[in-house]
Amino acid sequence: MASYAKETIEFMKLALEQANDALVNLEVPVGCVIVEDGEVIASGRNRTNETRNATRHAEMEAIDFLVEQWQKDGLSPLEVSERFSKCILYVTCEPCIMCAAALSYIGIKEAYYGCGNDKFGGCGSILSLHTSCSELPASEFASSKKGFKCTGGIMASEAVSLLRSFYEQGNPNAPKPHRPLKQQV
Amino acid sequence: MKNTESVSPQITHIPEKPSFLPHLQPTVNVLAAVIEPQDANTLVRKLNQIAPLENLRHVKRVRKKCIDGGKPQLSLLLSLAVENDAGVLELVKSYQLSTFITKVCKYAATSKEEWDEQCKLWPTSYHPPTHNISGITGFSEEESQSVFGFMRHTVDLATSSVGQVVNAAVIVDSSTNQVIASACDQVISSPSLANEVSKEGICSNYLENLNQQTLLLDGSIEESKHIINNVACVHPWRWALQSFGCCRPLRHAAIVAIEYSAARDRQLFPDYKALSPLKRQKIEESDSQSNGHSSESLRPYLCTGCDIYLAWEPCAMCAMALVHQRVRRIFFSSPNSNAGALGSVHRLQGERSLNHHYAVFGVVLPEDVFRNKVLDAKTAGSG
Repeated sequence: MASYAKETIEFMKLALEQANDALVNLEVPVGCVIVEDGEVIASGRNRTNETRNATRHAEMEAIDFLVEQWQKDGLSPLEVSERFSKCILYVTCEPCIMCAAALSYIGIKEAYYGCGNDKFGGCGSILSLHTSCSELPASEFASSKKGFKCTGGIMASEAVSLLRSFYEQGNPNAPKPHRPLKQQV
Repeated sequence: MKNTESVSPQITHIPEKPSFLPHLQPTVNVLAAVIEPQDANTLVRKLNQIAPLENLRHVKRVRKKCIDGGKPQLSLLLSLAVENDAGVLELVKSYQLSTFITKVCKYAATSKEEWDEQCKLWPTSYHPPTHNISGITGFSEEESQSVFGFMRHTVDLATSSVGQVVNAAVIVDSSTNQVIASACDQVISSPSLANEVSKEGICSNYLENLNQQTLLLDGSIEESKHIINNVACVHPWRWALQSFGCCRPLRHAAIVAIEYSAARDRQLFPDYKALSPLKRQKIEESDSQSNGHSSESLRPYLCTGCDIYLAWEPCAMCAMALVHQRVRRIFFSSPNSNAGALGSVHRLQGERSLNHHYAVFGVVLPEDVFRNKVLDAKTAGSG
């Protein structure tokens, strides 16, 4: 832990606060913040149960907030893309395959995550959507696959314990489990 | 599924793993050794602990061979050839095993033919598929017509704006055959796109539209690359090149359709709030006591039991979104070699760790329907 910059820990704590907010609202506790030039410009947390839309993950919430914001500010797509390319994401759990793809599409600069996601992870666990394919000429680069730097394991145990308390209380929106809920760790 | 004669060849199941000719299945090298029969039990037990075959669960640990009709010879699979597991090496040493490298098939067999070939290398187990998703074993004529109908509608949507092709998504409740949500890509807003089209001087009329449909259906995409520049799932990184207008990079057709279906759900069942499991259990108990059929208990969970039709094979973002939303079956018309995640670049339906699995089908529409439409339009135009 000590090897991470103090700043990284501070931003991850804010992401954990978001995750905790999700937990309080009976959502899967994953949260994130997006940082530009050292400043938090967006935050998000899981809203899948509230919206009944299972794609409303923390990352999608935060990205959509920024897209809407920048739309209102009259930014052109090129400008939006330039802004995203300066952004760093801090998220409590490894982005799933959907979110990892989305982060690549918007061209985010970097991502830090807490715990790994060995069922759905799109940043190395199941697929590696954060790696770019090859060096391309600048003319083609703009419209081709974008990679982003990805670092995991920041305050992972805090992220895991939030998830654990959620699954112990049970996902209120999931269908009836076939097996009884586990009470132990 | 009634009989094989009514199965249409134009709806193709896209399986969980790439298909190989039975004798060309991929293999991996493993470390093995001939053992004494009396040691077999002990060794297998020990190996299952120190070197479990995580990704080769279909491969049997022991091979039995009869030499010259005489006494059987047993070979034991120790580990993958690349692994130099200390525990395995110790076992080799203490039992004085002379090891050799051999090949086993990498994936579990999906047919009897594959299995027969596999066992020539090294014995494997074979479990015939026990799918319960309808369509995997074939479609009746009636089912095929229904699939074609929805796909036609989807392709119409994808080509409905003049001079361009986008992706379109149509979600169908398969129990009622009712469309519950449909959407086109909303990555680039339409008004500005219409401007762009006229600027580039693309001939935009009805016939042009139909031609595009034909191109789409023919799969002769190479010749019409520029036409598909706006298909979000094919070019998910391309939005940034747009020099004007407004742009929502993640609003791919499938994502928008999911959003619409969720909004519909909230509208139809407004009172269904997230409850603690205990409260919910109480409600469900009282429901079942009264008569068991409150409207809430009929509410489906997400898109369980729904099919989605897409003009184009979805990208990784959309394909995973459809896993999250628990879609039952995916039908798409055109493969997406650039970024497709259901067989072209990735194959999400084969990722066993995901908590939900849908069945995937490629649909080739009977294209003469569209060709005739084009011809009709031409005749009408000249007359």
